[in-house]
Amino acid sequence: MNQVEETLRQEVAKLLEDGTIDVFVGHEAASLPLKTSPCFVRSPKEVDRLVWNRICTSNLATYLPQLFKRPVGLKGEWTPPKVGVVAKGCDSRSIVGLIKEKQIPRDRLFIIGVGCEGMIDRHSVGRALGVVGLADAKVDGNSVQVIGTDGREKRIDIADVLAASCRECQHREAVLSNLTVGEAPSSAPEVSHYANVAEFESKSPQERWEHWVGELSRCIRCYACRQACPNCYCEECFAEETAPKWLGVTTDLSDVFVFHLGRAFHQAGRCVDCGACVAACPQGIDLRLLNQKINKDVEELFEAQVSLSLEEAEALSSFRMEDDQSFMTEP
Amino acid sequence: MLEMTLDKSKVQEFLRLLGQNRRLFAPVKDRMGTKFSEVADPSLVCLDGLNTNLSLKEVVFPQWETLYTFEEDQANEVKLAAQETLLFGARPCDARALELLDRVFTWEGIDDPYYLRRREKTCVVALACNTPGEACFCSSVGGSPVGEVGADALAFDLGKQLYLRALTERGEALLKEASTLTEKATEEDKQAVQQAAAEAEKQLQPVPIPEDLAALKESFDAEIWEDLGQKCLGCGTCAYVCPTCHCFDITDETKKGVGRRVRSWDSCAFSLFTLHGSGHNPRTTQAARYRQRVLHKFLYCPENFGEAFCVGCGRCITNCPAGLDLRAVLERLGSLAKVT
Amino acid sequence: MTKETNEKMSGDGWEPRIIAFLCNWCSYAGADLAGVSRIQYPPNVRVIRVPCSGRINPLFIVKALQTGADGVLVSGCHPGDCHYISGNLYARRKFALLKSLLEYVGIEPQRVHFSWVSAAEGARFAEILGKVIDSVRSVGPANKMIKKFEEVA
Ligand code: SF4
Ligand code: SF4
Ligand code: SF4
Ligand code: SF4
Ligand code: SF4
Repeated sequence: MNQVEETLRQEVAKLLEDGTIDVFVGHEAASLPLKTSPCFVRSPKEVDRLVWNRICTSNLATYLPQLFKRPVGLKGEWTPPKVGVVAKGCDSRSIVGLIKEKQIPRDRLFIIGVGCEGMIDRHSVGRALGVVGLADAKVDGNSVQVIGTDGREKRIDIADVLAASCRECQHREAVLSNLTVGEAPSSAPEVSHYANVAEFESKSPQERWEHWVGELSRCIRCYACRQACPNCYCEECFAEETAPKWLGVTTDLSDVFVFHLGRAFHQAGRCVDCGACVAACPQGIDLRLLNQKINKDVEELFEAQVSLSLEEAEALSSFRMEDDQSFMTEP
Repeated sequence: MLEMTLDKSKVQEFLRLLGQNRRLFAPVKDRMGTKFSEVADPSLVCLDGLNTNLSLKEVVFPQWETLYTFEEDQANEVKLAAQETLLFGARPCDARALELLDRVFTWEGIDDPYYLRRREKTCVVALACNTPGEACFCSSVGGSPVGEVGADALAFDLGKQLYLRALTERGEALLKEASTLTEKATEEDKQAVQQAAAEAEKQLQPVPIPEDLAALKESFDAEIWEDLGQKCLGCGTCAYVCPTCHCFDITDETKKGVGRRVRSWDSCAFSLFTLHGSGHNPRTTQAARYRQRVLHKFLYCPENFGEAFCVGCGRCITNCPAGLDLRAVLERLGSLAKVT
Repeated sequence: MTKETNEKMSGDGWEPRIIAFLCNWCSYAGADLAGVSRIQYPPNVRVIRVPCSGRINPLFIVKALQTGADGVLVSGCHPGDCHYISGNLYARRKFALLKSLLEYVGIEPQRVHFSWVSAAEGARFAEILGKVIDSVRSVGPANKMIKKFEEVA
C-alpha cells in the first residue's frame, strides 16, 4: 500500500466516524487487471476498500449529482447526504463545474484533493498487447509488467500508456478541496497543450471529414461516453428526445454525427478534458479530438479556461461586447 | 460426421472458395483486439485473437433495420431477401448465443421474419478456443470453449493445421465444397483435438451460477442491487456488446411525405427504457435497472426459455466502464441465495 | 422515397436551398422591409422566424444540415440593439464555436453564415442573401450530413 492510499483511508475513516460525511466516493480495485471501480464507503470499517494508484482513471464527479437527488416516491422530509469524494485535478474541476451549474451543493461536499501524476489508459495497454487479452498486470514504479492471455510477458513504460488527457494535463492538483493528501505532483505536461487539435486542423477538409467518417462509423450509440461524462447529467438527453426529435436512433452516419456534434457542443466551455469519455468507449473512439477543439477555441477566442474556480463565469454563459466577430459573413 | 484437416497455409484459399457464393464474415484485426466483420479479402482474417470485442449478433440482428416504409397513406413492405452468409471463426460462446437468440425470435410459435431471413441463410463455422480470454466463463453457464451448440461446423487450431468437424448437414455440405483443399482427419489429429479441448477447459475458472430460481426471486429487494446499481453508469455498453441481449425499440422517422419504421437495439440500463407515455417510469433507480439486467438473464430467461441468457463470453466485463464484473455479481448472488 | 432527393441531386438546374433563422425584432423585420420595398431577392431561402438569435439552439443548424439544407443563415440584431439586451451576444459566442467545429469536422464553412441585420436594413438583407447564396453555390449541393432514407436489406 502506498502512502497516499494509507492516509486517504485514515482520513476517510475519521470523516465517517465524526459524522462530517455520510458517504465517501472513491475508487476500489476491480476484478480485471488495470481496472478500478467506483466505490461508495458508508462506514469506517469499509475504508480498506479504497485504493489510490495509477489506474484511478474514472472521473468520480459523474457519480455525485445522483447522490443529491431526492429519491423518487419518497414521502416526508429528506435531507441530502454529506458526501466526501477523492479528487484528482480533473475530478475537482468537474466538481467546480457541477457546483456552478447547481447540480451539487458545495456545503454538503467534502473534497479530498490528491496530486496526480497521470493515469494509465487501459485501451493503450490493450493496443500494446494486440489481439490477445490482458491476463495480469503489476504496476511497479514507472513501468507496468503485463502478462497477456497468451502467457507472454511484457514490460511497458507507464509514459507510453498514459491517458492522452493526462499527457497534456495542466492542472494536476485539485483546484478546490477541503483537504489534500500526498505531495504535489512532480512531472510537468509532456505534450504541448492542444497538440492533437493543432495537428488535426492542419489537415485538408477532405481528410478531416474522412477521419470522422471513419471514427464515427465505429460508434455503436451505447452512450458510455455520455454516461461517463460528469457534464452529461441531463435527465433526458437531446439524443433521446422525441419532441422535438433531433436525430434518429440508428447508427446511420448522419445520426451519429448529429449525436456527437450535439454532445460535443453541449460540452463547450464545460469540458475539463478528464478523458472519461475516451476511457469509457468500447470502440476506442478518440472523442477528445472533438471536445478539445472547442476547448482550444474557447481559450483562444474568449480567453476563458474551464472550471478553474467557483467565481469565474463559464464561457458560454458570459460575453464581452468586443468578442470576436471575424467568423461572421456580415457583422 | 465429416472430419477433416486444412493446412493453415490454405486457409485463405479455403475462405476465398467458400466466400464465392456467399457473404463471408470473420474476425479481423481492430484497435480493440479483433472485430467480426464482412471480409472481401481473406488475407485480413485473423484467427489468433480472443473472442471479438463486439459480438456477432449484428449479422443476424443488426443494430437497426427498417421494418417498413410509408408514403403519405400507403405502407410499403421491405424486401426480406437475405444472402447466404458464412460466419467463420465465431467462438463457441457466440455460436451458442445464436441458438439462444433463435428461441426469442421464434418464441411461442411467433416467428420474427426480419431475424429469420438472415438467420436461416447463416452458416456458422465455430473456432474452438485454445486460450480463453481474461473474463471468459462459458463452461460455468453450460457452454464450453470447444462447444458445438449453434454451430454448423467446429474448427480447432492445431498449430500447423485447422481441424474441421461438420456438425450439421449444412456444415457438411459447406465443407464438401472445399474438399479439394482438405484432407481426411487422422486418428492422430483427433487425439490432438481431444487434448486441446481438455487443455482449454482446464484454463477456465469456474464461476458459481445461482440456479435456485426461487432464491433469485427472493433477491429482488436485496441490498446487493443498491450496492451494484450505484456504480452502474446506465450506459448501453453491456447490452450492446452482449451476444444474447435482444431488446429493441421501435421508432418512426419521417421526412416530408415519406417515412419509415425502424427497429433498433435498446438497453435495460437506460433510464428511458421503461419510460411510459404517461411520464411514469416504473424503474426509478439504476439499481432497479441493473437488477433487471441480471435477473432477466438468470431468472426470467430460464423461466421463459429454459436457459440462462448468458454464454459467458465476458464482454460485458471487459467493456464495462464502471468495472462491474458479472462473475463477481453471480458469486454474491449465489451466496445470498444460500443464506436466505 | 427518392422523389425529393432526386429533385435536388440532379446536377444542372440545381438551386441551393437555404434555411434562414431570423430574429423577430431586427432581421425578420429587415427581410420584411426588403419585401415591402420590392427589393428583389432570390427565392432560395426558407425563413424561420425566432424570437431572438439567442434562441437559436446550435442543433437547429446541425439539424437543418441533416435534413437537407445546402446552407444556413442566422441573423440577429446588431450588438447593443438586441430586444432582450444581450441574447445576440451570448449567441455570438455559440456561433463562433459552432462554425469552427463544423469546419473542423470537414463541413464546408461556405454553408454556414451569420450576420446582423437591423429592421431598417432591407436592402442590406437582400445583399447579404445574395452573398450567402453565392457562397453556398460555390460548394455545390450538400452531401455530407444528410440523412438518407434508403431502406436497408
Ligand atoms: S449530450 Fe447534451 S443533452 Fe445529452 S446528456 Fe450530455 S449535455 Fe445533456
Ligand atoms: S462510447 Fe463510443 S461507441 Fe459508445 S456512443 Fe460513445 S462514441 Fe459511440
Ligand atoms: S467464453 Fe468460452 S467459448 Fe467464448 S471465447 Fe471464451 S473460452 Fe471461448
Ligand atoms: S456496461 Fe457497466 S456501467 Fe454500463 S450499463 Fe452495463 S453495468 Fe452499467
Ligand atoms: S451477459 Fe456478459 S458474459 Fe454473459 S453473454 Fe452477455 S456479454 Fe457475455
